[in-house]
Amino acid sequence: MKNKKYWWMMLFILLFSTLLVACGNDEEEETTADNNNDPVETEDPQDNEPSTSRLTGAIHSAPTGLFNPIFYTETYENNILSFTHEALVSQNNNLEFIPQLAKDWETNEDQTEITFFLEEDVTWHDGEPFTAHDVVFTYKTIADPEYGPAGGVRTNFVEPLLGYEAYSSGETDEFVGVTADDDHTVTFHFEAPNVNPLYYSSFSIIPEHIFSDIAVADMPSASATLDPGEVIGTGPFAFTDMVEREQYILTSYENYWQGQPKIDEIVWRVVNHSVMTGLLQTGEVDFIADPEGIAAADYETVEGFGNITIVEQADFGYQLMGFKLNHRTSEDVENGVIDPDNWVENEKVADPLVRQAIAQAINRPGFVNGLLYGRGEVINSPIAPQFWAYTDDVNQNEYNPEAAMALLDEAGYVDVTGDGFRETPDGEEWVLNLDYPQGNELRERSAPIIQENLQEVGININLRQPKEFSAYAEELENDDNDMDLYLIGWSLSSTDPDPSGLWNTTAAYNFSRWNNPESVELLQKALAAPEAFEQDYRTAVYHDWQNLFTEDLPAVILYAQNKLYAYNDRLNGVDPLPYSFINNPHEWWIEE
Amino acid sequence: MYKYIIRRILVFIPMLFALTVMVFALAQAAPGDPFTGRMLDPTVNPEVYQQQREALGLNDPYPVQYMNWMKNILQGDFGNSIYYNGRSVLELISQRFANTLYLGLFSLTITLVVSIPIGIYSAKKPYSILDYATTGFGFLGLAIPNFFFGLIAIYIFAIHFGWFPSQGTVSSNDVTGFAELIDRLHHLVLPGITLGLAGTATYMRYMRSEVLDVLGSDYIRTAKAKGMSSNNVLYKHTLRNALIPIITLMGIEFGVLVSGAVITEQVFNFPGLGTLFLQSITNRDYPVIMSINLLFGVFILVGNLLADIFYCVVDPRIRYD
Amino acid sequence: MQPSPQGATEIDPVSPQPPLDQNARSSNSKSPFQLALRRFLNNKLAVLGIVVLLTIILASIFAPLLTDLDPTKSDLMKIENGPSSEHILGTDGSGRDNFARLLYGSRISLIVGFSAMLFTLIIGVTLGSISGYYGGKVDSLIMRFTDLVLALPFLVLALTIIALVPTITTALFVCIIALTIWPNLTRIIRGTFLSLREQEFVLGARAIGASDFRIIFRHFIPNAIGPIIVNATLMMAQMIIIESGLSFIGMGIPQPTPTWGNMLSEAQNIRILRNHPEAWIPPGLGIFLTVLSINFIGDGLRDAFDPKSNKR
Repeated sequence: MKNKKYWWMMLFILLFSTLLVACGNDEEEETTADNNNDPVETEDPQDNEPSTSRLTGAIHSAPTGLFNPIFYTETYENNILSFTHEALVSQNNNLEFIPQLAKDWETNEDQTEITFFLEEDVTWHDGEPFTAHDVVFTYKTIADPEYGPAGGVRTNFVEPLLGYEAYSSGETDEFVGVTADDDHTVTFHFEAPNVNPLYYSSFSIIPEHIFSDIAVADMPSASATLDPGEVIGTGPFAFTDMVEREQYILTSYENYWQGQPKIDEIVWRVVNHSVMTGLLQTGEVDFIADPEGIAAADYETVEGFGNITIVEQADFGYQLMGFKLNHRTSEDVENGVIDPDNWVENEKVADPLVRQAIAQAINRPGFVNGLLYGRGEVINSPIAPQFWAYTDDVNQNEYNPEAAMALLDEAGYVDVTGDGFRETPDGEEWVLNLDYPQGNELRERSAPIIQENLQEVGININLRQPKEFSAYAEELENDDNDMDLYLIGWSLSSTDPDPSGLWNTTAAYNFSRWNNPESVELLQKALAAPEAFEQDYRTAVYHDWQNLFTEDLPAVILYAQNKLYAYNDRLNGVDPLPYSFINNPHEWWIEE
Repeated sequence: MYKYIIRRILVFIPMLFALTVMVFALAQAAPGDPFTGRMLDPTVNPEVYQQQREALGLNDPYPVQYMNWMKNILQGDFGNSIYYNGRSVLELISQRFANTLYLGLFSLTITLVVSIPIGIYSAKKPYSILDYATTGFGFLGLAIPNFFFGLIAIYIFAIHFGWFPSQGTVSSNDVTGFAELIDRLHHLVLPGITLGLAGTATYMRYMRSEVLDVLGSDYIRTAKAKGMSSNNVLYKHTLRNALIPIITLMGIEFGVLVSGAVITEQVFNFPGLGTLFLQSITNRDYPVIMSINLLFGVFILVGNLLADIFYCVVDPRIRYD
Repeated sequence: MQPSPQGATEIDPVSPQPPLDQNARSSNSKSPFQLALRRFLNNKLAVLGIVVLLTIILASIFAPLLTDLDPTKSDLMKIENGPSSEHILGTDGSGRDNFARLLYGSRISLIVGFSAMLFTLIIGVTLGSISGYYGGKVDSLIMRFTDLVLALPFLVLALTIIALVPTITTALFVCIIALTIWPNLTRIIRGTFLSLREQEFVLGARAIGASDFRIIFRHFIPNAIGPIIVNATLMMAQMIIIESGLSFIGMGIPQPTPTWGNMLSEAQNIRILRNHPEAWIPPGLGIFLTVLSINFIGDGLRDAFDPKSNKR
């Protein structure tokens, strides 16, 4: 009676711990259930010594939980799927396609067909053999009419396949785009001669025997997509366990066709941005890789830890400041139409001289040396420099405020009112609206600097407050507004340098609404059979296109940032690819 | 009185309706939709997003969408997340809610265990060194943004000393049973303290002043005069009186905890409701935003209703007309 | 069950304050306000709070005199530099001067705190007094609306509304915060008023035929002024904390606008925490001192208006 207070507290604590224990029990049961289904963990009787080698990687944000190559949309899943799933072909350090699940291939004369000869000893994580039927099944699923509505977004891999239209619209039940000739031979048939058939066949393969009974619409919510132990691939590691949103555990697959991995377990931990380098130092985290790597500003700090190796290489992607050359009409936006005939030209940035002047007024080397700590590169054309198609032999638009002012004078943009800002050739006020999104610290920092740079040459910039990303993306896309300059960053695919997806006139992502017939022509030429079967031919065409781009300048490419991977020295055998840290992880090993 | 209660309940129904409209409007009015943010992968054909919008009914007029949503809600179906591609919203919420609940309970426990004894002690010995120290701490706790306290705590106690884990809720799935309980508690220490910091400071000062008030009141003096020991007086009379408002406060603090959790969970990468909510906001995951808001709303509205009825019953002095 | 930000619950909304002015007037010729002022000035901490807060306010007003650097001007050659004679607190990740950002940042933080408080106060006092004074249908209408807004935890509602606005400016930020947090104050004021309605002196005033307006201003507000002011000050302190918290999760007033919250969230990194204490200690201290002094003042005010209480 006397200690009423303590009763309250006891009750409280009791309640609290029962809840915790109750929760704990639940998960315990789930875990054991998982382990029973998992053939990997229960093996290895001589593994009595505590020698489980474990490697921990860090990611900034948790995957959404779709561990299915054909359905995932976030890069974080990719970190897991890179260990668990494989494709017919992969790419090497020179970005050439090399055999993976296919040991060899041949194309027919006009490149409308490509036939792959598959590795024969490959088994899925559940022991079933991998066959050509799995390949057919994977592509057939992506072409399915239900695939898009179910949330799939990878249709670009099947669009050029023979009979895709008919199959995906439901007109026919017969899928003829990919066919199995026998258990270990598979042929891709294209509608038209294809310049880069290997790109289209580089998609990760999912197991038919697991998914064949599941309707396409139900695949995203199937256990084989969501649950560790149920996700089946052919890769060196199997996804066996997770603490959702915290840890994702990959266990070595002992029957991996290229030999059992040397590391027993790889754990991805989700770690807040701000403590990541700290955990790298304490050894709680062994490596930081894609998507963000470590920040350029942290390079020296991390180097100073002493036990960390940093890999620095160019990234596939760039940041740009685009000019809204044309705006769509509200009507077109409403109807979702992209028709250059209806576009309204944006007079404010219509003169190419003005655009070049703006490019020359921006201190791009300053961005690289300052914001990026020198860990990046000024590039001029929108093709990743790692590609054979890239050239630096273009209009450089080097930083030169004097030249920029001269160009503006030449174009007739002079300050007639004496307020320090230039007016249009007609003597009208000339203010350019610059919009940018939140979400990328460096980009947010660069916007005010661009404003300062441009004001120095007398261009009046109305720098808007940064917008929340979704809101910004909507405005950028629905461009019936007064945006003149915009900032955006693009990540590029490492498989093919073709820039049409971003810069072709009618491309949805051509946010500049750049309408240049010559560019369209060149982009088509670079993909036209049969000349384009020769890479040298394509290279030449792309060089022409890059020249055109830097002359007409629908956008100023600001910089390409370097990617900085960091890993603990106890990890060995790392051989990063230009586009990924994860390369042959079965050869990684740990030295304590 | 009964008339009041009945009327209060009758008002509750249109309130619920208004709440659903508000929740729906707030979620849908935000610019962009679940696919605008994803729009920026150049390898993806934007047409597929159009297909998905169509499939999800995002292109329907708002009244139609609202009616569909309400129809499902009334059948207990809160829909599926768009960002988490079709996972049940209720499943997502219940998973995360458990974590936030533990965090909240843990932080409340720390708060009470620390603040009540210290509050009492400093009230019994006002102007002692401990009293000054705790008052100082009280002010400190109120004046530091908790994300910053969390960051500093991580650097000192997790990275420098390595005493506590700094991220997540558990070391691994391999720990089970009692060890898991300990492990989970271990993970809760830093976020719990961070979240409870301001609360502790508030309660401590509150407790001190309540106890001081009661100690100074006439009936305590009388009790003392009758020869009761001071501790006896304190526990028998003071605490009972002082704890009642504390318990009321705790109810109020629940909302505060959820709010605070949004930020704290972020620092400690604690997968709770706050993180889920923030993520859903940035990704415009309508079904999740609306469900979280609706659940909170209903929960709190019902709470208010009960509280009003309760006040009306126990406090007939307040006239309702 | 009503959610409320920490600190705003300091005064129990249900228990009415004693009608101070009646007692005071009968015993002393001094007005209650003068008495309160005297008590306030005797409170050392509160006076200290006033001094510190005034210093910070002056520094923010006269920021252009204290530094001639522009807080938003970047310098790519001077990124994350340490202290130097030109940049006494070094520069940030864009090469902007930390000292200038600190000074101009205090403006934003104080403006956010003060105007959000003022805005809330206006809404709260208006609705609270109407509701509490008239009672009945008006009261239940206003209270049901309040309940509706209160039905969502503060930050949850604030975040939902912030997402509606593509671009957050300081003014919008203040409005959003005020529109989210007003119900707390409204309830407190309404509660006080509701209990005052039944007090003899109000019934008396009404019997003489005093106008509603007169009763509200002569009898209600003076009696409720204690809780109003105290809650308002505490709320102001809290706004400053909230601003920094929202900056941290990327939902605050965006860069390049200098705010203390922005400066502090830039420091969420082991590199800056370790190597550049000059970048984060000053804004941290700024928030700390401002919030602390506002709290001291708030406490001082409470004691001054409610001499019976031992709270400090």
